[in-house]
Amino acid sequence: MDKRIFIIGRDNVPERLSLKAGQSIFWTLVALPGVSAELSLEVDIEGEGCEVDIAGLYLCKDSENLSLNMNVRHNAPGSVSRQVFKGILDGKAKVNFDGLIYVRKDSQRTKAAQQSKTILLSSEAVISTRPQLEIYADDVECSHGAASGFLNTDELFYMRSRGIPEDQARRMQMTSFLSTVLQRLPQSLQEEITDCL
Amino acid sequence: MEELIIKNLRAGVEGKEILKGVDLRIGKGEVHVIMGPNGAGKSTLSAVLAGRPNFKVTEGEVLFDGADLLAMTPEERSWAGIFLSFQYPVEIPGVSITNFMKAALAARRKAQGLPELTPAEFLKLLREKMALVQMKGEFARREVNVGFSGGEKKRNEIFQMAMLEPSLAILDETDSGLDVDALKTVSDGVNSLRSPRRSFVIITHYQKLLEYIKPDVVHVLKEGRIVKTGGPELADFIWKEGFESING
Repeated sequence: MDKRIFIIGRDNVPERLSLKAGQSIFWTLVALPGVSAELSLEVDIEGEGCEVDIAGLYLCKDSENLSLNMNVRHNAPGSVSRQVFKGILDGKAKVNFDGLIYVRKDSQRTKAAQQSKTILLSSEAVISTRPQLEIYADDVECSHGAASGFLNTDELFYMRSRGIPEDQARRMQMTSFLSTVLQRLPQSLQEEITDCL
Repeated sequence: MEELIIKNLRAGVEGKEILKGVDLRIGKGEVHVIMGPNGAGKSTLSAVLAGRPNFKVTEGEVLFDGADLLAMTPEERSWAGIFLSFQYPVEIPGVSITNFMKAALAARRKAQGLPELTPAEFLKLLREKMALVQMKGEFARREVNVGFSGGEKKRNEIFQMAMLEPSLAILDETDSGLDVDALKTVSDGVNSLRSPRRSFVIITHYQKLLEYIKPDVVHVLKEGRIVKTGGPELADFIWKEGFESING
């Protein structure tokens, strides 16, 4: 299992990747506040039994400009790909997320999922997501979803009603939102991220 | 002494008036039950008392231990001793019950000028209160309400109430959707927390709960007003005759 963590702006993220039968990756991409970048990752699955698990997390506080372009191509049958991206945008940050899942005609028994969720803390922050599925095989399980919104007010009230002050409750909500991606990271990096909230 | 005094409370949500002049007085250590048909304003009353942001008070006042409750933020109300058991408890993925309660207790103790509990003291308290609602050890590590059954969510509310030791606990339909076993666990939890220093407002539209929790006073809330107040026998009467037979 190729398990790696990339801090965008600090580490070089490969632009292209080709997987042979049975190869798997478990990658986590992190963009900390203050980082503007254009990132493009193309993954070609060329054999059976591959597992591609990519997660991403981005925090934009001010005027960052982030562009993420994810292409996962299932060129062979019987592989799995999962992508989950979570972002929190404040200030005048701009994020562009393009995600393509491509499944070739003979790539039967493919399972592919992509999810992108964003919380907007400011009305001037902009997220633009374009999830795309291009599927030519018929025996597949594919899903994609994109959602963006503000912090949930019911959650916030629940926490405050237990005596947790509003600003701390907001940070707890953001940590909760990011938790599926945070859990993939070592404790020290988790703390570095939650300290930014 | 009176713990909670509600005077001519008018409140609503999204411009619609739901409470149309509620008057209520609750003494220290008393258990009050508020019954009423759907849409009477029961949940609005609990939301207004706990300070849910989208509810607007248009008239009246609420005094809690002599202080102006409506001027306080939700967290300040909690520090002052108010606890609301939610009808629909919220899920918080990625936050364990232990960490949630640690944050809540630390904030409250700080506001009260008390030193933070040591990890050992906190753990002891946690275990003691979990036992009260018959929660097993792994419960503390679970994410708040995530994947909980209806009964577990309500037990978690009572557990949090026990942890926070409020002086006024408001139970908003804590009994709804519970089977008999869960109802008994929740009621046992409430009964063991009854004390001369703690008052309860129990909101329900079932009479079943009152087989387990004996109230001091029963009120009927209808169309945004308290239309009748009596002893436990009032609940029996409603059970037999229905809310329609009671008019203000």
